[in-house]
Amino acid sequence: MSTAIIKLTNLRKCFGRLEVLKGINLEVQPREVVCLIGRSGSGKSTMLRCINFLEEPSEGEIEIHGLKIPAGGKGREHQKLVHHARLLTGMVFQEFNLFPHMSILENVMEAPIIVKGTDRAKAKEIAEMNLARVGMLFKKDEYPNRVSGGQKQRVAIARALAMEPLVMLFDEPTSALDPELIGEVLDVMKGLAKEGTTMLVVTHEMGFARDVADRIIVINEGELIEEGIPGKILDHPQHKQTRALLERYHTSEK
Amino acid sequence: MKLFGNKPADEQKSQADLLYELHVRQERQFQGNVVISWIILLLMLYLLFSGDTLGLHALSLDSQFIKDNFGFIGKGLGVTIYISLLSIVLAIFMALFAALGRLSRFPPFYALSTFYVSLMRGTPLYLQIFFFFLALPQIIPWWANVPGLWAGVLALGLNYGAYMSETFRAAISSVGKGQREAAIALGMTQGQVMRRVVMPQALRFAIPPMGNDFIAMTKDSAMVAATGFVHEVMWRATRQGRANLRNLEALIMAAFFYWMMTLILTAVQSRIEARLAKGDR
Repeated sequence: MSTAIIKLTNLRKCFGRLEVLKGINLEVQPREVVCLIGRSGSGKSTMLRCINFLEEPSEGEIEIHGLKIPAGGKGREHQKLVHHARLLTGMVFQEFNLFPHMSILENVMEAPIIVKGTDRAKAKEIAEMNLARVGMLFKKDEYPNRVSGGQKQRVAIARALAMEPLVMLFDEPTSALDPELIGEVLDVMKGLAKEGTTMLVVTHEMGFARDVADRIIVINEGELIEEGIPGKILDHPQHKQTRALLERYHTSEK
Repeated sequence: MKLFGNKPADEQKSQADLLYELHVRQERQFQGNVVISWIILLLMLYLLFSGDTLGLHALSLDSQFIKDNFGFIGKGLGVTIYISLLSIVLAIFMALFAALGRLSRFPPFYALSTFYVSLMRGTPLYLQIFFFFLALPQIIPWWANVPGLWAGVLALGLNYGAYMSETFRAAISSVGKGQREAAIALGMTQGQVMRRVVMPQALRFAIPPMGNDFIAMTKDSAMVAATGFVHEVMWRATRQGRANLRNLEALIMAAFFYWMMTLILTAVQSRIEARLAKGDR
């Protein structure tokens, strides 16, 4: 058993005849922040969604904290493993996906109560603690549609944290936000990284990747083509696809 | 903004403000006239039907018959509401089942759901009532001993369930895929996702049309009178009307009762809708 929190071995995913992931091998160590970059359609979101089985992988193996789940499993035993994997991972979506019929506090309390069977008082305590962590405690009784996109995303982060996952998965968490709201979400994520949260982040925010990531991984057409510390990847890219990708960010930043 | 030359500043209003005020004034005037017209209409109706109370003899309704039978026919309201409530419960149950069938990827369940909806929507409600009342005992003999009311409830519930299933299906589909994914990612089971996340949101979407269906159903329940064994408003009105050759009076009274019931239910419905609108979506 490796010490890795996430270990992907030869992970493949096909949608019909389209092969989106072509054999991914990846390890994420405890307390590590890994940023995944790549152009849209490269398979980076699909890879993230395979880790908690929102997409069922076609081939390969996913290991989360020693829990090995082979692809293509069926039946009750497999479902149990998948459920367990979901409890170990927290996910933050591009579109926030807060529950609109619940207050912000209830959004964060829901899963601990329903899924873990935490009693209400304890769940409230956990929820308030995590809302405070993302700076959203002051809006706890509001409904999601009464707060800004950036605030929604911070609540979504708190909601995932309340389940006390071993690793946080971020799927382009700032891509649906107005430019002026991106900063507050990135700040929260930076805070989490500083606290030692293990994070796997799909992002287009190169500034964030440079400041926070321990490692950047470049994915292109379903394959990992390059990885390394931010300075190496961002300043001295080896692969020509990486250079092309970064070139586009540089031009769009100017 | 300066539009009208050298007027003093406090008299100046923007063109948009003026247009808006005009619009508000016109709208208020229109609403006022509608209310007045309604009052005149009702007054005319009253005069038309008031018989000899004002010495007009317009339709010369038999006021004695009305007095004698008002209570008798009105008592049917209880049965009408009772049938409607039972039927709507059955309809909701069937609609939910049919909607889940329509959303299912399991072919037999999907087929069963579409078969049911198609059959119920493809045949008249009147026929269905008679089917359950007259024809069903031929298949299930003990059904003959079941009160006619249940044939009505079965027909109304199954029929409305078929129509409502489409509303339910739309309501469930209106809850975005992201909602389910977020709930699943948090570790919820399919059942929990349905109960805690999808259904509460779908219900809000479905309640207004369900209210409409319920109101429509209270009136369609009049058809159950045709069985001759369910003593609701329509049965009572036609019975008394025919027996005394006072069909005009009897039907006017029945119409009055249905109309009042509809008015009350509509008021209740708009209350509920207002409250739903207040809760944040």
